[in-house]
Amino acid sequence: MALIKTFGSTIKGMVSVVPKTTEDNMNLPNISTEDKESLIKHTGIRFKKITTKSNVDVKDYFEKGIEEILSKLNWEKSSIDILICVTQTTTTSIPSVSCRLHGDMKFDEQTMCFDINSGCSGFVYGLQNIQSIMHGIDKQNVRAILCCGDLSSQLIEENDNTTRPIFSDGVSIIGIESIESKSEITGYFNLETAGQGQGAIYTAKGANQKDYMRLNGIDIYNYSVKYVPKNISDLLKFSAKDLSFPDFFVFHQANKLINESIRKKLGIAEARVPSSLYEFGNTASASIPITLNTFWENHQKNSGWILISGFGVGFSMASGLIKFEPEICLQPIEF
Amino acid sequence: MHDLLSIEKFLQFTADELLVDANEINMNTTFRSIRTWSSLNALVLISRINEETDLLISSRDLTACQTLEDIHLLIKSKINGTD
Repeated sequence: MALIKTFGSTIKGMVSVVPKTTEDNMNLPNISTEDKESLIKHTGIRFKKITTKSNVDVKDYFEKGIEEILSKLNWEKSSIDILICVTQTTTTSIPSVSCRLHGDMKFDEQTMCFDINSGCSGFVYGLQNIQSIMHGIDKQNVRAILCCGDLSSQLIEENDNTTRPIFSDGVSIIGIESIESKSEITGYFNLETAGQGQGAIYTAKGANQKDYMRLNGIDIYNYSVKYVPKNISDLLKFSAKDLSFPDFFVFHQANKLINESIRKKLGIAEARVPSSLYEFGNTASASIPITLNTFWENHQKNSGWILISGFGVGFSMASGLIKFEPEICLQPIEF
Repeated sequence: MHDLLSIEKFLQFTADELLVDANEINMNTTFRSIRTWSSLNALVLISRINEETDLLISSRDLTACQTLEDIHLLIKSKINGTD
């Protein structure tokens, strides 16, 4: 069980970037109106954001988001020590997206870069990785940028009514900075894996030799309700806090059936579990930040800590109890 | 005894979740031929069974079932811990 504490850094800003084009599940082809209504009711998803250009690269979205976060936080590129990208939809696997961004955006040589191949649990994995690395850097003020997200529409087969209504494109860029007290605990994490669930979401070649995503909804549901509530309970035990402590529980936006079952098993009130499913669908590793971006401004906070939980493809599950008092957390922008 | 162990209640529960009339189905009904059966409604049924009983029915479990009686026997064996 990978239970981990992080020290001395917090999220300063978070921006999300989504495509301009929206696909409405009420316009899905070859499904009756009644079935579309049932689909929207049970998945909670009405709209998805879809990239329409054929040669678009997730790197372009990361680049847009990095420019945005640097300008909003007033950070110089030369002040960035770490750049990590979490994605599963790169157009080229070699070299890494983070190294390509580093070169094209002209970051300084002292910036460390690598990618993490991860989906729905990826934001939590990325944040834990960055905070742990930052703690080990012997320097007063350390800064990092985490990029996460996918252009999942590139892996959707047009007539696949299991994946098409669910997955949506979007990325999030998170700016993380060290705080004055290097020894202060700023996060607790529980990162786990149930690899026997690897067949629940995967890619396989279609008749045209293109890779397409395949999803077994029942198995994903079963893995989620079997493992995620326990992953969260174990995390709270590790942090010596109870369910009343976090201001909000921000879950990966899988679909409403799964998220509601997890919420009910934990016994938390709906008001503490924000959702962005209706407008933004399932945006893989960007779904937790996108949800934070959509609701953060107008809500009352108390402890200043939130619980985040990402779960899915792998089967991988990662929860974090993190200090969250960002300066910048605005509505997603379109690109 | 759990509600879903009663045949009558299991049929009513299934009819409610699949949005059909209870008299349209019986224990010998092959559930894949129910007019509202779809991969989504299969997931809805599995998730509702989980919420009611805490039991997990995998896609492999479901593939092995043909009739509503098969699903009922599966629930029964899981509740009684014989599966």
